[in-house]
This record gives sequence, C-alpha cells and structure tokens, in this order.
Amino acid sequence: MYAKLALRNIRRSLRDYIIYFITLTLTSALMYAFLALGFSPDVLVMAENMSMLTTGILLMSALVAFMSSFVIGYAIRFMLGRRKKEFATYELIGMEAKTVRNLFLAENSIIGTGSFLLGSLVGTGLSGLLNQVVKNIFEVPHAYQVSFSLQAWATTFLFFSLMYGFGMFRAAKIIRYQKVIDLLYDNRKNEEYCFKSFHHSLLVVLLSIAAMVTGLILLGRMLQVQTNEAFLYLGGACLLILVGVYKLHRQIPLLLHRFAKRNLRHKYKEENLFFLGQIGRRIHSAGRTMAAVAILLTISLATMFVGLTMGAGYKANMKAYYPYDAGVAIDAPLEISSMDSIVSFVEEYCRIEDSVTYYLYTVPEKSIEALSLSDYNHLREILRLSPVSMGDNEFLVHCDTWNYMDEIRQGLKQQPEITLNGRTLTAAQTPIRIEPMEQYQMAGTKGYVLVLPDEEASQLTGEKIRLVMKLEDGGYPKLKSDLKQFLNSGKWQPELQSGKQLPEKVTMGVTVKAWGVANSLTGFTAISFCGLYLSIIFIVLSCSVLAFEQLSAIDKNQKNYAVIDRLGVPSRRQASLLRREVSTVFLIPLLFPILLTILLIAGAQFFFGEAILQEGLILFYGLVTILIFCAIYLTYFCATLFLFRRVILRPSIR
Amino acid sequence: MKEILKLDHIQKYYGNGGNVTKAIQDISFSVQEREFLGIMGASGSGKTTLLNCISTIDTVSAGHIYLDGTDVTEINQKQIARFRRENLGFVFQDFNLLDTLTISENIALVLTINKIPAGEIDGRVWEMAEKLNIADILDKYPYQVSGGQKQRCACARAIINSPKLILADEPTGALDSHSSQMLLSTIRSINEDLGATILMVTHDAFSASYSNRILFLRDGTIFKEIRKGGDSRRTFFEKILDVLTAMGGGVSDVR
Repeated sequence: MYAKLALRNIRRSLRDYIIYFITLTLTSALMYAFLALGFSPDVLVMAENMSMLTTGILLMSALVAFMSSFVIGYAIRFMLGRRKKEFATYELIGMEAKTVRNLFLAENSIIGTGSFLLGSLVGTGLSGLLNQVVKNIFEVPHAYQVSFSLQAWATTFLFFSLMYGFGMFRAAKIIRYQKVIDLLYDNRKNEEYCFKSFHHSLLVVLLSIAAMVTGLILLGRMLQVQTNEAFLYLGGACLLILVGVYKLHRQIPLLLHRFAKRNLRHKYKEENLFFLGQIGRRIHSAGRTMAAVAILLTISLATMFVGLTMGAGYKANMKAYYPYDAGVAIDAPLEISSMDSIVSFVEEYCRIEDSVTYYLYTVPEKSIEALSLSDYNHLREILRLSPVSMGDNEFLVHCDTWNYMDEIRQGLKQQPEITLNGRTLTAAQTPIRIEPMEQYQMAGTKGYVLVLPDEEASQLTGEKIRLVMKLEDGGYPKLKSDLKQFLNSGKWQPELQSGKQLPEKVTMGVTVKAWGVANSLTGFTAISFCGLYLSIIFIVLSCSVLAFEQLSAIDKNQKNYAVIDRLGVPSRRQASLLRREVSTVFLIPLLFPILLTILLIAGAQFFFGEAILQEGLILFYGLVTILIFCAIYLTYFCATLFLFRRVILRPSIR
Repeated sequence: MKEILKLDHIQKYYGNGGNVTKAIQDISFSVQEREFLGIMGASGSGKTTLLNCISTIDTVSAGHIYLDGTDVTEINQKQIARFRRENLGFVFQDFNLLDTLTISENIALVLTINKIPAGEIDGRVWEMAEKLNIADILDKYPYQVSGGQKQRCACARAIINSPKLILADEPTGALDSHSSQMLLSTIRSINEDLGATILMVTHDAFSASYSNRILFLRDGTIFKEIRKGGDSRRTFFEKILDVLTAMGGGVSDVR
C-alpha cells in the first residue's frame, strides 16, 4: 500500500524530483566512471606508478561523497518544504509521523536506487570513453570498449550509500519531530530581510578586495619560493582569495541592488521595480548560498583549468625532458672508453642505432660548461636536427630553458667575445640555439651550455662524461633499472683519466625515454583526471544547489507573477521577467569565479606560456575549461528555467 | 449618469458532457459611473465567478460584458493585459501585495507598469498615501504593517491609476472588525470623494451596507436587488439582513 502511494507520489512530484534525480544520476555516473578508470587493469599496467591514479580518484571520491551529502541534505530539505502541507494532511487523517517518515524515505529510496542504477549504466558507458582517453594519452592502441568493474561499482555503492544515508537521516529527523501546525503553516511565514548599512557593506567590500589582492600577492611570492614555505604561501593565498570571493559575493549584489533602487529612472522603468523586488528577495534570502556556490565554482574552475593545463603542459614538455632514447651521465673524469662496456651491455637487450660518448668540459673561471662542436652536432644528429657550423674562432650558446634566455641575450650583447686559454672567440652568426636537448643533465647541467670549436674544447678538462644512445624502437621502460643494476653491479669497470682523482661523491644518472614517458604520463593522467573529476562534480553540485534555491521560491513567485498578471503585465513580458530573474540568480555566483578564471588563464599564460613547448596550450585548455563549465551550467540553467516557466506561467494554476 | 459596466445575459458553465456545473445561469445588470455596487450571496452562488468574468480572469460561456462601451468578451488574449491595466483596479481578500516591495513600491508598481514618467511617480504615490492615511508606512514592507494598513495599500494601488472600475473581492475577509470598519470607510470615501466606481463582492452584511446598491445572487442568478436610496446605513443593513433571511430558505425547506 505504502509502496504504491510512494510511487504515485513520485509520479505526482516528478517536477520537483527531476533536478534531484539528474544530480544524483550524474554524481553516481561520474563517481563510477572515474573509479572504474582507477581500478581498470588495462590502465594500471601502463606504468609502474599508475596506482597514483587509483589513490587520487579514491580520495577525490571520498571528498565528493562528503560534499554531495550536504547537497543531498539541501535537496531533501527543499522537497520537504514543498510537501509539508501534504505530510500534515497525512498526519491529520491519522497517519503516524513514523509512517509519514517511512513513506518519504521509501520515495527517496526509490529515487536513490533508480538514479544509482541509471548512474551506474551511464557511468559504465562513460568509463569506456575515459579508458580510451587514457590509452590515447599513453599512445596505446585503443578502441571503445564497455566493461563492468565490480570493484568500482561496489565502491561507488558504498560512497553513494554513505552520502545518501546522511541526507535521509536528516530528513527523517525533521519529519519525525516537526509539529503538524508547523508543517501546515510553514509556507505562510513572512520573509524578513535583514538590512545592513551602506557603510558596513562598503567596508566589507573593501576588506574583501584587500584580502583578494593580498592573496594574489602571496601567490606571486609562492612562485618565487623554492622551499616548502611555498605551501604556506599557497594555503594563505587560497584562504584569502576564497574568503574575499565569499564576502564580495555577499555584498556586491546587495550594493548593486541598492544602487539600482536608488536610480529612480531605472527603478521606475516598465517592470524593473517588480524585477528588482524579486532579485532583492533572492539576494537577501539566498545570498549565503549564492556566495557558497561562488566559492565552489571558483574551486571547480581553477581545479579544472590547473588540472588540464598542468597535465597537457607536462605531456607537451616531455620531448624536452626525455629527448634521448637512453643516456648515462656520470659526473666524474672518466676515460671515454669507460662507456664502451655500457654500450655493449645495452646492445645485448636492444639494437643501438647510434651512440655518442662525450665530455661536458669545465670552463675556467666561468659558471658554464662546454661541449665540443662535433659532439654537439652528433647529439643534434641523434635528435634529427640539422648540424650547425661555425668558424674556428667562434662560439655559440645552446639554451632550451626560457628563463635564462633574456640574461644570455643581454650578456652576449654586452660581451660578444670570450677569451679562453688566451684565444679570443666571437659569437657565431646565430649565437643562441634553443632546440630541446635536456640541459639539466645531458647537454649541460645548468640549463645552458657553451659550444666550442673542437680544438678549443680539447684544451679544457672533461670533468663530466655522458653517453647518449639512439635505440631501435625507442627501447623499453625496464632498461632504466637494468642499466642502473649494471652500473652498480661491479661488472662495469670505469677508468679514470690519467692524473685525475675520483670526486668524493660521484653523481650518476640514467635516463630512459620509454620509462620516463610511461611514468610521467601517470602524473599527468592522475592530475588531469582528478582535477576534471572533482571540478565537474563540484559544478554539478553547485548548479543543483542554485536550481533548488530558485525552485524553492516557486510558490511565492507564482503568487507574485499572478499579481502582476492581474495588474496588466502581458504574458510575454512575464516570460521575459522570469528569464531575467533566473538568469540573474545563475549569473550572480559567476561574477568572480569567471573573472578569477580569466585572470588565472592570463596569469598562467604570462608566467608559464613560454615554458610550455606547445604554443597556445594554456589558452586552449582555458577555453576547454570554460566550455565544459558552460555546457553543464547552461544545462542546469535551461532545466530550471523550463520548470519555472511551466509552473509560473501556466494559466490553469493561477 | 454614464453607464460604465453592462452585463448582458451572461452565462458560465464548467465541465462538459453530462457533468456540467452552471456557475452563472443568466445574469444581466449595469453599473453607473461613481456607483458603489455590492454583490452578495452564499458560497457557490456564483459571485466570485461573476467577478472573475468581469475582470477578464475568466471567460463567459455566453453573453456579453461591456466596460465603458468595450465588449470585454471580445477582447483577444494579446489585448487583455492592456485592458486590465488601463481600466481595472483590484482589491483582494488576501491583499495580494508583493512581499518583495515596500508599501510605496507596491503602489508605484501599477504606475510603472502603465509607463508613467519616473519623475511623477513618487509624488503621486505620496499624494494617494496621504489620502488613505498610510503615508507614515510607505517605506515599510508588507510584513511590517497591520492587515488594515495592507488593505489600504491595496486600495491605493487599485485606484492610483484612476481605473474605470474597481473590483473588490471580499476586501474585509482577512481583517478584524475594527480594521474592517476603517477599510470600508476608506472604500466609501474612495467612491464618494474620488469618484471611483466600485464593485464589491462580499458575503458579509455589514460590509455590504457601505454600498449604494446590492445584488443578491443565488444559484447563479440574481435573486434580488436592493438600493440604499435615502436610507441610513443602519436601515440599509437591516434590509440586507431581511433579504439574507429570505434567501436562507423558509420553513418548508426544513425537512
């Protein structure tokens, strides 16, 4: 009997449940899809440290469940508000409060189960897509494939039950302990506004702006700090910016509303007075919610942008980090022949197409290392770059690190000649080369290197030795550990240059592109996907809160629009007013998140644009962020507007 | 005196097929300019339906309603809003003020909808508020004032645009006796001093006694019409009670 009544109630309240249902479905779908990705065996075998993705997604899911539980509580309160009178009637005809509560819980369980099952279905489809995206990132052959993950489903079910259970528990408490009279007459309560003085609002605005500016300054300082102190700056900056965003979102709409009402010409223009009244009520009654949504949106947009850009930027810069198939770097004055056994060792596992062993020469009294032109050109050949030529009394600088570029340019301008061993060398016609060569280990250790004619270089001391190899098919990831094992096994017998001593500490480095790509991409995938996951869910939750907030005012709005209908406002004007009202409610929480995101994109482009090798990447992912956000936001906006118009402008209910 | 409203054999049916409810069977009457007409009747007598038809909120099934010569039943949907804002003023039982606006703004709303220049609005609102004795509450919100004050605000809103006809639906229904009395005096002064034409629907004999003429409805038809003429309000009140007693049914109706 109750199940039947619950089902009938759901059908009747479909309009109220629809946004709730969409939100629950989307949350469970995204949760399942990302968890399925994190647990996917195909994905986990792609790199050694892929479990980072699983851990990240699990942590994000716990956070999502926690945040969602509040939104579910909010949604349930909204629905309780809509149906208080109905519940009071049940109680008046003799139904026990416990039974009413059970009825409501039964309805919600049906909605919850339905949305979870549908969410799992949608999530399964989505996980196939995400799987494909990850495989594409790792450049693994792929095809769309749907597979069900029981582990992901069970974890989603656990998180979903926790977040849903929390919301239901709160709802049950409200129904159980609320008096019939409160249920009956709750909607007759007047809305009372609490007005703060103009000076108070202005002071808060100024303080908020000061907080945000301080936050941005701290963020700037953070970029200059290389120690753990940077996290302190980051935390402080985030806190100040978020508090600023919250307070500004509380006060700016109030001030704007106040100014709009002071301008009589604007206020008394056509239906503006009515519109200002409607918006004034939303700002006063839902101001806190809108400000909280603004914070959520700021976090979402920033997370999505940073996640996508960092990940994509990392991938774009991979070529610079790993330009060679394999390389060995030893900071010791060894003989060139010392590297032969390493070459022989590698040859046992994969064919070497080309290799070069060379010194990084120490330049006396200069904080720069040098390469001989022939070694430099050999490296260029391995990298498929055209060789360079220069005169016997010339030099050039290779620098693929953008942050030293200006300094080097200026230095060469001021001092285009250098003197080495009593010979003066002048800068070549193209004095700076910038192609990616990895200049923190292989082609230099400081981010730049001096390229000298062979004769000049040979007169310097080779304190650091390097071996670079070009392998057939690029080698394999495990080569790195194999090489390390060989170097430390005792089978390798290096030979010191005559008259030289081994330094106290010898730095040895092994770089293998195949290993680097696989493991760096894991970081990229984990950061991007966790960012995307968190931000999309946050946007969905923010939108649903806004939608519920607007729909909770539907009864009062219905009455108000009926009044202006009788006063002679045509239907099309009412429709336009409704559109303006819903748009404004959805626009207010967007003011600063959008502004800050644009600032973030511009700032990222300004500070890191040159560091990322793919041109326009930051702007591209900034645009992607805004587009994804707009797609979700507009969907919720349209759904809310549709429901609003259907209820308020429907003549039969007037 | 000029005839401002004329109802010509109007009928209103609800439902269809074998399930038809006749809310108004056949009603005809007219209202003169500056007249204060009361419409009385028990629940279900058709008085609210009649008011809804006159106010263009509802449509008639048959017959015609003329307001200052314009056939209201012939006005198309697009013109209805304009017709309402230019010709009608409303006072409702539950005030129908907007909680989102102050008393002053509630009154001004009608002027802004009628596109009155912004510079004139505050002056006109103040003038009307003075007349209705609500000038001291203009900056308050509806929830901050009493029921009587709210209803006077509703009256000010109804008459500020000088409509041809003011329709009042149970205006004292939500007020205590003292507030009712004050409001009715206000409505009467609107009629007498400002020359407004008022059509008031009520089931309360005391409220009806403030009008000049009363139409008693029963089962969708006019049961009786009485005029105040030169009588005092007390005498008119007693006459109303007599009609109501007669309408309530005779001994033969008690089974």
